Amino acid sequence: MNKLFENPVFSITLTLAVFYLARRLYNRHRWFFFQPVLITIITIIVVLLLLDVPYETYKIGADYISFFLGPSVVSLGVLLYEKSALIKKHYKPILIAILAGSITGLISVVAICLIMQAPHEILVSLAPKSVSTPIAIEISTLTGGIPSLTTAVVIMVGIFGAALGVNILRLFGIKSPMATGLALGAACHGIGTSKALEISPLAGVASALAMCINGIITAILTPWVLSLIQWL
Amino acid sequence: MLKGLFYIFLFLALGELIRYLTDIPLPGNVIGMALIFIALRSGILTLKMVKVASHALTRNLALFFVPAGVGIILYSELLIAHWVLILIAAVVSTVLVLLVTGLVHGKNEPDE
Repeated sequence: MNKLFENPVFSITLTLAVFYLARRLYNRHRWFFFQPVLITIITIIVVLLLLDVPYETYKIGADYISFFLGPSVVSLGVLLYEKSALIKKHYKPILIAILAGSITGLISVVAICLIMQAPHEILVSLAPKSVSTPIAIEISTLTGGIPSLTTAVVIMVGIFGAALGVNILRLFGIKSPMATGLALGAACHGIGTSKALEISPLAGVASALAMCINGIITAILTPWVLSLIQWL
Repeated sequence: MLKGLFYIFLFLALGELIRYLTDIPLPGNVIGMALIFIALRSGILTLKMVKVASHALTRNLALFFVPAGVGIILYSELLIAHWVLILIAAVVSTVLVLLVTGLVHGKNEPDE
């Protein structure tokens, strides 16, 4: 099997097939647990374990799929342009909400780690958990965290938010596409944005904007907050 | 579609180039996103040139995250070792960010 999966065609076909089926399942049942990304990831992990194919081998083909993240992020700039009049009109509440979310994300995760007496490297690795992977890795490396732990946590936060975020927001009466998008982007970066895009283009744009601004704010604030707790 | 893809990759390449030449702590694709937005605003590009291709890509964004998600198995030992802490910190903090962002925006602006 390992030999077979060294041919990228198999990883690509497996990923596309599982994702396609997962999306059909979700469209039919609309149950929150059937989030296509979540179901696809779990199914592929199970398949790889059953077939005894290591991740490194799966990655040979899977890299062709992740590659499209680059042009997709650029494409979000086009969506942003399409909605720019609306964003411009409401820029103040948008920026305030993102800023509030960024600060909450950083302070709360650091506070929880301090309360639970987490080892310092774990605290540092978790601090940038709400920003997109490349920025999170940058922050984690810079502040002495474990980049691989940061990566894993960032992805899990994204999957969690994509699966349950909308339901959590609804529970508290937050339903508007703009507020939902901003919340998903500020809390769950790109994976949250992919969920927001499923709701509506406006939610997607709000999410992409929140993701970018949150990334920048967190990159600036994290070293500062960490040196503050060292000093305390 | 082809022309659209060309422009998207052109701006991605420009973003990566800027990232390579400077120490901006942002990924090249994010710089590319800002650049294509500026190009559209200033009229260098028109929406018609890039709309179809960009929509095709963003519609399937979730799919492109699947390999990274599967990659979590690489870190299973690290995650299992600290699972209680990671679970509580990540879940509580994420829920707080969702609610604070959503509620702050809701309080400030009744939506369109």
